Amino acid sequence: MATGTVPAAPLSPAVFAILLSLAEGEKTGSPSTGPGRWGGKHGYLIMTDARRPQGGGIQMGPGTLYGSIERMMRDGLVEESGASDDARRRYYRLTTWGQSVLAAELGRLDAAVSSARSLGLIPQGGRS
Amino acid sequence: MSRPVDSTDRLMSLYAMAVRLYPRAFREVYGASLRQTFRDALDDRTLSRRALIPLVLRDLALSLAKEHLAMLRDTFGRPALIFNALVLAALATVLAQALYTIPQQVLRLGANDPQIALADDLAAKLEQGIAPADAVSPGSIDIARSLTPFVIAYDDQGHPLASQARLDGAIPAPPSGVFDYVRQHGQDRLSWQPVRGTEHGVRIAAVVERVAPSGSAPGGFVLAGRNMREVESREHLVGQLALLAWIAMLGLISVGTAAFGWYSRPKISVARV
Repeated sequence: MATGTVPAAPLSPAVFAILLSLAEGEKTGSPSTGPGRWGGKHGYLIMTDARRPQGGGIQMGPGTLYGSIERMMRDGLVEESGASDDARRRYYRLTTWGQSVLAAELGRLDAAVSSARSLGLIPQGGRS
Repeated sequence: MSRPVDSTDRLMSLYAMAVRLYPRAFREVYGASLRQTFRDALDDRTLSRRALIPLVLRDLALSLAKEHLAMLRDTFGRPALIFNALVLAALATVLAQALYTIPQQVLRLGANDPQIALADDLAAKLEQGIAPADAVSPGSIDIARSLTPFVIAYDDQGHPLASQARLDGAIPAPPSGVFDYVRQHGQDRLSWQPVRGTEHGVRIAAVVERVAPSGSAPGGFVLAGRNMREVESREHLVGQLALLAWIAMLGLISVGTAAFGWYSRPKISVARV
């Protein structure tokens, strides 16, 4: 995926969950707040976020997580923050390009949900 | 629920061994993180081991396959590498084809050599008015077995007048179309197959020449031929050598491409900011 063009195809569940987890961290600034930019999240924190229903509900193991992160780093979606509280832990955060891709994906999902709601496929009052 | 420390250590050891199964480049960058993340999961009291172990086993199976496939794709599936290999394979194919075609043509054309002279000489004698029975040396060559060159004289309608050759006890004659062609063009050099078949077929390197009518000598044709068995055997050998050369070249290209792909494979870079 080259930076500059938002992907037309939907993101894989793992990639979407990782982007969402890191985006949530950007907003809340937790748990690692450095002096400048947000310090990012480490692998297990991303996994636990992804397990939650609001994080995508993805049961992701370490291999899938780091395989996805490797490809996302290559695509310029995420980067290592450099922050560390432990030499064995690496922290990751979204790039500007990753934020754009996530926004595009959320917009696509939002349009699909709105369409489903207008068709009565989602009960009134249901979460979107 | 308390978790025994030795159980955690044992699981960590097993997982560390499993991590060694990932491709080296991936393992060097993410090995420690994988182990630490698994340790974090083991220490997470909200996640039962009954749920964690199957999840990790499934993850190992899928991600190991995925990372090895990705490694193979990154190493050998690069378009430039495949394009170069295909270009080299195409060149090797052209070269192998040339290695077969050039010697095959030289052998086939060389197979006509004595017949050209024999047909010329016999045609000249007949044009001088020498009787076919006198011009054609006596002989009874079995063209299915013998490799000796032979000559046959035909009249203007293609009926045999004198012959050194026999095939199944009779004087063989080429298809009438050959005489029609020679009547117009003066000479034809052809591979004549009086007995068809790959196993027991008879193929003759034949030169057919027009005998022009002159004075009292009527017109006609002469045919000089020779069984191609030996020449075709050499052509077959050349074909086998060319095939071996082709396979060897493709093998070298494959090995070279694989080696180049391996040494020039992209490394996983850790982009810290």
